[in-house]
Amino acid sequence: MTTFRLILALLALIPFAGCGRNERMDLIYSQRCASCHGSGGRGDGQIAASLQTPPPDFRETVQRKSNSQIRKVIAEGKGSMPAFDPALRPSEVNDMLQMVRFLSREGRDLAWWEKYDTLIAAHCSIPWEAALGLDDAPEKKP
Amino acid sequence: MKLGLAYYLVVLVLSTNLIGVEAFAHEVQQKIVERREVHIPLGDFTLVDQNSREFQFSKLAGRVVVVAFAYTTCPDVCPLITAALRQVQSGLTKEERKRVFFLTITTDPEIDSPKILAGYAKRYGADLATWSFLTGDPAVLQKVWKNFGVGVKRKARGLVDHTPLTAVVDRQGRLRFAYVGPAPDVKAVLQDVRSFLVQ
Repeated sequence: MTTFRLILALLALIPFAGCGRNERMDLIYSQRCASCHGSGGRGDGQIAASLQTPPPDFRETVQRKSNSQIRKVIAEGKGSMPAFDPALRPSEVNDMLQMVRFLSREGRDLAWWEKYDTLIAAHCSIPWEAALGLDDAPEKKP
Repeated sequence: MKLGLAYYLVVLVLSTNLIGVEAFAHEVQQKIVERREVHIPLGDFTLVDQNSREFQFSKLAGRVVVVAFAYTTCPDVCPLITAALRQVQSGLTKEERKRVFFLTITTDPEIDSPKILAGYAKRYGADLATWSFLTGDPAVLQKVWKNFGVGVKRKARGLVDHTPLTAVVDRQGRLRFAYVGPAPDVKAVLQDVRSFLVQ
C-alpha cells in the first residue's frame, strides 16, 4: 500500500518534471537569475546590492508561495525583475520554478528525500516530457 | 608573421566601433562606469515606441536627449541602467523636464515588442511623457546601434551581449557624453544634461 502511494506521489510530480535540479536548469539559472538572486538563491548576486529592492532569499519566501504565484513572477516580472515570457519557453519557466523550489530547500533537512533516492533517480531517468508530448519544438533561428 | 600582424590589425579595426567601446555586457562585469566626452553627429532614424507608434529621432531637435541601450530580459546591467535613468528623470525639475527627453533603445528586437516594452516601462515607473522605449526592424536597429557605437551579439533567445552605453545627446543632435558600464552616476548625468540646458 505504501509503495502504491509512493508511485502515485511520483506520478503527481510528472507535470512539474519534479526531478530537482538538472544541467539545463543550472544553465538557465546561471545565465538569467544568478546575477541578482545569487547562485544559491539567497538574494546575494553580483548586482543585488545595487538594486533598489534587494532580491529575496528563496529560503525565506518561496515556501509561502504557490507554484502559480512563482510562475507568474518569472513570466511577468516584478519591479526590476525581467518578465521572462516569451524569452523563456513554458517548459523553461517550469524549470526555473523547480529551481526556485529546489534552492528554497537548500540547507534544510533532506532526510525525507534521501530515503527515496533510488526511486527518485529511476523516476528522473525517464524522459517524461518527451513521453507525454510536452517537449518544446526546436528553437527557430531568426 | 607579417600576415599575422596584418590579420590582427584588420580584426582590430573591424572590431573598433565609433566610440571605441568593446565592453560587451555580460562578458565584462565591470563595476566602474567610464565617462567619455565625445563629439559625434548622429544620423536620423525612425523606430517604433511602446505604443506601436512611429518615433522619429530628429523630432527631438532642440531638446537634450538621454539615450540608453538595454533589453527587457537582460539579467545584469540593464536593470541598473534603467533604474539610473529613472532617477535622472525624477531628479529634473518640472521646467527642465520640458527640455529633456529619454530614450531606451532595445538591443533585442526579437523579444522586445512594443507591448513588452510598455510592461517594462511600467515596472520601472518611467514617466512616458518624456521617455520612449523603442524597438523596430532589426536592420534599422543595427544602423542605430552602429551610429551610437553599440556592439550587439545575440547569445540565445532573450539573451544578448551588448555595449552597456548610456549617452547624452546635445540639443543639436550630437552625441556628447558616453557612459559605458552598468549604472551611470545619476549626479554626473544630471550635471552633464544641465550643462546643455544653460547653453
